[in-house]
Amino acid sequence: MPDAQSTKHNEHAKKRNYRPLVSTKALQKTMGRYYAITNYHRYWGKPLRRPLAWVTSGAPVELLRAFKIHSAYPEQYAAIYSARQATVSLCEVAETAGYSQDLCSYARSNIGGVLRPDLAPLGGMPKPDLLVACNNICGTVLKWYEVLARHFNVPLLVLDTPFLTGELTPQAKEYVLEQLNAMAVDLEKITGRKLNQQSLAEQMRRSAEITSLWKETRQYCQASPSPLNAPDLFIHMAPIVVLRGSQEGINYYRKLEAEVKERVKLGQGAVNNERIRLVWDNIAIWPQLFSFYKLFAEKGACFVTDTYSGGWAADHAPGTPMESLAATYTEVFLNRSPEYRANQLINQIRDYKAHGFVMHSNRSCKPYSLVQEVIRRKVMRETGVPGLMIEADMADPRAYAEEPVRNRVQAFLETFDDLT
Amino acid sequence: MTKIDTHSDPNELLDLLLEESTLKGAERFHRYPERKFFGYFCSYFPEELILAAGLDPLRLFPDSENSTPAELPAYSCSLARGTLDMEIREQWQDLVGIGFTHTCDTMQCLSGIWAASGHSKTIDIVPPVMLTAQGASRYYQSELNNLIKELTALTQQDITQQALQDALLLCAHTRNLVTELDTLRPNLPSPLVFAILRAGQLMPRADYVKALEQCLPALKDMAVTPHTRAKLLITSAVLENDSLFTMIEDLGGRVVADDTCSGYRHYSGHTLTESGDPLSDIIKRYSGMPSCPCKNRSLNERISYLSGLAKQRDAQGAIIVIRKYCEPHAWDAVTLAETFRNNGIRTLTLELEGANVGGQERTRLQAFIESLSEAPELSKEG
Ligand code: SF4
Ligand code: SF4
Repeated sequence: MPDAQSTKHNEHAKKRNYRPLVSTKALQKTMGRYYAITNYHRYWGKPLRRPLAWVTSGAPVELLRAFKIHSAYPEQYAAIYSARQATVSLCEVAETAGYSQDLCSYARSNIGGVLRPDLAPLGGMPKPDLLVACNNICGTVLKWYEVLARHFNVPLLVLDTPFLTGELTPQAKEYVLEQLNAMAVDLEKITGRKLNQQSLAEQMRRSAEITSLWKETRQYCQASPSPLNAPDLFIHMAPIVVLRGSQEGINYYRKLEAEVKERVKLGQGAVNNERIRLVWDNIAIWPQLFSFYKLFAEKGACFVTDTYSGGWAADHAPGTPMESLAATYTEVFLNRSPEYRANQLINQIRDYKAHGFVMHSNRSCKPYSLVQEVIRRKVMRETGVPGLMIEADMADPRAYAEEPVRNRVQAFLETFDDLT
Repeated sequence: MTKIDTHSDPNELLDLLLEESTLKGAERFHRYPERKFFGYFCSYFPEELILAAGLDPLRLFPDSENSTPAELPAYSCSLARGTLDMEIREQWQDLVGIGFTHTCDTMQCLSGIWAASGHSKTIDIVPPVMLTAQGASRYYQSELNNLIKELTALTQQDITQQALQDALLLCAHTRNLVTELDTLRPNLPSPLVFAILRAGQLMPRADYVKALEQCLPALKDMAVTPHTRAKLLITSAVLENDSLFTMIEDLGGRVVADDTCSGYRHYSGHTLTESGDPLSDIIKRYSGMPSCPCKNRSLNERISYLSGLAKQRDAQGAIIVIRKYCEPHAWDAVTLAETFRNNGIRTLTLELEGANVGGQERTRLQAFIESLSEAPELSKEG
C-alpha cells in the first residue's frame, strides 16, 4: 500500500482515535527507496542488464529476482493513484478508450495511466521490458495483461494456476511446476542469464522469513487490546508485496514486529478504549481509508485482523524451491473455494476473539466479492457473530455512497452497545 | 432411443426445433420422461462425457434477466443471477447433476455459491486457461479422468471406452450438421439459424441430430441467394433468445458469422475421432476450438480468428455484444473493435443486461445497419 499514505496516516491517527506507529518512518524510507529505484529504472536497468517486469501481486517474484529482474506492481501503483485521488480521472481515460466502467478499477486506472502518464501520480509507471501475470487472484489479470502486452509489444509470461475447488491436486501442482520450469527457460532467453538454483533458494529463504515475520506480527493482534488496526495492516503490507525475497523487507518487518511486540507488552491498543473487535474481509477502501475506518475507531471498534493483508501471511509449501513456488502460489486464498474461505474467516474470528466481521462487497473484484454472501451466512451460522456487508469499490470513489454506508455502520455498531 | 423416425415431416421437425429453442428445456420432463438430463453452463464442459455417461446435456439458460437472488451481488451478470435464482426456486430439481467449468471469475464463483445454497449435485472441471502452456494437455487429461470418475459416481454406471467413442462420434456428427447449416447462414433468416443452434443444447442429442438431418434438405431449399441485406458478424457471450437476431433481420441486416457462446462457437472447431484414444481426441477438440475470451492459445489468436472470419464471410459490419458485468467479453471488445475498424469493418458495441433488445438498441442498430447499406464503399475505409 502507498507509502504516501503513511505520513497522512500518522497525522490523522491522533485525531482519529488511534495510535501512530513509529515504524511508519522506516516504512516510508523503505518504500521511498523502492519507488525511487523503480522510477529511475531507465537509467540503471540497461547498463546492469536488469529488465523491468510489471507483475501481478500474486506472481512468483522470487523466480524473477533470481534472474535479477526488477518488478513493479500495477496493482500497488493503482492503490497509490486512488489514495492520491487520481483514480476517477484515470479511469475516465480508460473508459473513453472503450474499457467498460464495470471492469476492475485497478486495471482501468492502470490503463488510464499508461495512456495518459501526465495525469498519473509519480508520472505513471516506468515502461516494462516484460509482463508476468499469474491468474491465482483472478481472471481479470490475464485480460488486463494481454492489453498491456499488445500496447507495449513486450513478452507476456503467464502462470496458469488452476482454481482449487478442494485441495491442491497432484495434477494441478505438476502443471504449475512444468510451467514454472518453462518460465525459467523463457527468462533465461529474455535476460541472457542462467537460472542460479542457489540464488533462487536464497530468495525463497528470505521470502519465507518475511512471511513468518508478517505472520508473527499479525498474531500479536490476538492480544486485547489489539496493537494494530486494519489501516495499519493495509499500509504496512506494502513491503511484503513488493520486497518479497529481499533483505530490506526482512529488516523492515523486524522493526515492525519489535514495535508491535512492545505495544502488547505495554498493553497499548491501536484504538483507544478498544471495545469491539472485528475482522475485515476484502481489499481496503483506499479512497476512504481514514474516514471509513474512523466510523469504527470512534466507537472503540478495532479491526484486529483481515483476510486481505493476511493473504501474505500464508506459510510457504515444502519441497524444492520450484515445488514450493508451485504449491504456494496455487494455494493462495483467492484461488480457493468459498468453503475454504469461510473456514479461514471462522478461524480468524475464533483466534482473534472477534465480536463480528465486516465484508466489503467490492464491485471491482468479482472473485473476492461474488461469494461473500454465502460465506457471510456460513460464518454467522458457525460462530454466532454478526457480519455486515458494505458495498463499495477499492479504488473508484464513484461507487461509494457515504450516507447509506454511515447509517449501516452505525446500526451495526449499535448491536454491540452492551459490550463495555 | 429417439421418437423421431425417418418418415417424420421435415416441417414438423423444424417446428419442433424452434419450439425447443424457445422452451429452453422447460418441458423436458413431459416431453422426454425417459431421458435423464445433466445441466451445464459453458461450452468448455465436454458434452461427450455427459453423453457417454448415458445422460443428455442441457445448457442452463435464465428464465429472466431481472432476477436478484440474495446470494449474488447486483453487479454480477444476469446469466449467473437468473440461473441461480431458478436453482433456488427448485427449477432444476430433476437434473441428475450440474456441471461447472472454470472459465470466467463469475462461473468460478457461481459453482461454489451453487454448492453452498442450491439443491443440485454439482461437478466441477477446471480446464487449463493457457491452452498451449507446457503441461496443459497432460493436466487436461487428468481433469477429464477425474470428471469421468465423478460422473460414474453420480450415475453408478461405468463409462466404457465404447461409450466414449460413440459419444465422440455423435458429437462430431452434430457439429458437422451444424456446420452445414452455418454455411447456409448468409441465405437464411438469422433468428431461424440461431434458434436451431440453440435447440441443440436443449434437447436430447439423438433427437436433435435426427431432426436436423431431416430438416437440412428443406433448409437448403429455403436458402435464397442474396439480396441487399447488410452482412454482419456477431460476437457475444451466451444469448438465451433470438431477440437481437430478430431485430437485426427486421432492420435489414443478416448475421453471416456468429461467434456467440450459445451459437456457432459452441459447435466450431475440428472433432477428431480416429486416434483410438477418445480422451485425447476430446482434449484436442476443446483445446483447439476457436476460443472464448476466458481462454488463451496465444496473445492475438482470437482476434485474428475473428477478423479472418469476418473477411471470409465478407462481413460489412461487426456487432460486439457485452452482457452487463461480463468482464472477459468487455475486455476483448476494445481490441476487437479496433482490429475490425482497421480492417475496414464498421463496428457497433452493444451493452445488454440480458439477451433482450429494446427501443434504445433498435435506434442504434437501425442507424448502424443503414450506414452499412447506404455507404458500403465507406465501410471499407472504416
Ligand atoms: S479483479 Fe480483484 S484480484 Fe483481480 S486485479 Fe482486480 S482487484 Fe486484483
Ligand atoms: S463469460 Fe460473461 S456472461 Fe458468461 S458467465 Fe462469465 S460473466 Fe457471465
